[in-house]
Amino acid sequence: MITLDHVSKIYQNGHQALNDVSFNMAAGEMAFLLGHSGAGKSTLFKLITAIEKPTSGRITVDGKSFDKLRDSQIPALRQEIGVVFQDHKLLYDRTVFDNVALPLIVIGMSHDEIKKRVRAALGKVGLSGKEKVLPVALSGGEQQRVGIARAVINRPNILLADEPTGNLDESLSDEILDIFADFNRVGVTVLIATHDLRQVERLNKRTIELSQGEITGGETIEPTKLS
Amino acid sequence: MRTYLNRHLQVLFAAIGTFARTPFASLATILIIAITLVLPSILYITLKSGQQIAEGWQGRPQISIFIDTELGAQEAKLIFAELSLHPAIETAEFLTPQQALEEFTALSGMSYELDFLGENPLPASIVAMPDQENSESDSLQALKTELEKIEGIESIRLDLEWTDKFNSLLNTAERTTYLLFALLSAALFLIVGNTIKLLIMNRRDEIEVTKLVGGSNAFVRRPFLYYGFLFGVCGGVCALVLLYFSAIYISPALENLATLYQKETLVYQLNWHELLCIVAFGGALGWIAARLSVARHLRHIKPR
Ligand SMILES: Nc1ncnc2c1ncn2[C@@H]1O[C@H](COP(=O)(O)OP(=O)(O)OP(=O)(O)O)[C@@H](O)[C@H]1O
Ligand SMILES: [Mg+2]
Repeated sequence: MITLDHVSKIYQNGHQALNDVSFNMAAGEMAFLLGHSGAGKSTLFKLITAIEKPTSGRITVDGKSFDKLRDSQIPALRQEIGVVFQDHKLLYDRTVFDNVALPLIVIGMSHDEIKKRVRAALGKVGLSGKEKVLPVALSGGEQQRVGIARAVINRPNILLADEPTGNLDESLSDEILDIFADFNRVGVTVLIATHDLRQVERLNKRTIELSQGEITGGETIEPTKLS
Repeated sequence: MRTYLNRHLQVLFAAIGTFARTPFASLATILIIAITLVLPSILYITLKSGQQIAEGWQGRPQISIFIDTELGAQEAKLIFAELSLHPAIETAEFLTPQQALEEFTALSGMSYELDFLGENPLPASIVAMPDQENSESDSLQALKTELEKIEGIESIRLDLEWTDKFNSLLNTAERTTYLLFALLSAALFLIVGNTIKLLIMNRRDEIEVTKLVGGSNAFVRRPFLYYGFLFGVCGGVCALVLLYFSAIYISPALENLATLYQKETLVYQLNWHELLCIVAFGGALGWIAARLSVARHLRHIKPR
């Protein structure tokens, strides 16, 4: 589902954020991306969602090779991937409803269907009844959950979450990660960047360890050995 | 098709919503557009009114022949008789100094002032109309030189001269109008383009996030095109209102001009076609300006 083949990323300022990273995630797999701050976790997500282009190496997501990806195909790719951003990326002058509905609005879904889905998604993350609230009136954890609801609203094939439990207490973290696990159970490929080793142990999933832009451990599989 | 229409309607309503949220900025832009559209339109209306006045004379020039004031009434009548028989003249009408004064008084409404003069300063005159063959500018000039040789004729005025002058004036005004239209359209482009640019900058975050969740360029672009279109259309409608009041203001002056030329022409009324044209022109210009602005500024906004 997600394949990185000797991928390196050097930012414009010359900083090498990723160095020769290779791994593969099969469809329906769930994994944790571990690494200290600055290891390159967010960079990796940006490459998978085509926000950044790799300096070298090849990326394939859901059978689509990024080499051949035209700019006009990027929206369709992003519609397939649900992303929980580390900095939430909410619209602070829009209601919770509008924020969560955005991925459905861009694909032109009917208003009634959007309403139904948003209500269900907000229920799942424990924010029922907060539809009309502005995100500024929410706590950090609640904002994070709005971001999670938005990520799953379009029933994506792939779910990427960048420190989704960073602002949450233990019991809420458990709940949120259980939601991700639920999605994984119905076939969604899930990759979660986290510092939270307790969750890694609790859920007992595959890990990919990054350190200073290089993969240093975890049960990674070389793409060459896979095919 | 229905979802397509739905989508557009949604965006349209959202655009109207944004208008309502920033009423003063939007109103200012709309007013500027309206004024930009009104200026050349007023010129156009004035032009059309002038053309209406000019139209009446075309094809039937008049020759006003003024008799020497030293001449007696008998001798003047003789000249009139001579002219009536001239082969190039179709009709001729004799005006005694008294008749000339009456006509002048009726036209100008200056009877009291003239009374003070005590004596009628106007000469006897003959108003003649040449036949069709001699109605062209060249042959009229020839006729004029010929008649001027007749003794007892003080001066001859061809109304065609006025028609020509007036027409060339109208021509100049017409060109000026079109030039103004072109220049102000360019200004309109800049105004709408700049407003759209500001809107884009204001909504930078929204554009970024929309792109992050899979919004296509077309989707992101659409509301701004609607803004441009709405700005233009609202500006056009505003322009019509301003034009209406402008016409009321100009009307007396034009009516005066019309009576001077013995016509009952009022201010030229724009037909619904032309009214629609102003609004459509505003809308189209707004749309295109927005499109260009969006193409320039949206490119620089990439999600991070
Ligand atoms: N746009 C950028 N331009 C230049 N350098 C960048 C850019 N984005 C990230 N970096 C650098 O790349 C390295 C990896 O950053 P990244 O955000 O991927 O780390 P991370 O693993 O997500 O860290 P954290 O746990 O703190 O979120 C960092 O040293 C960072 O300074
Ligand atoms: Mg990060």
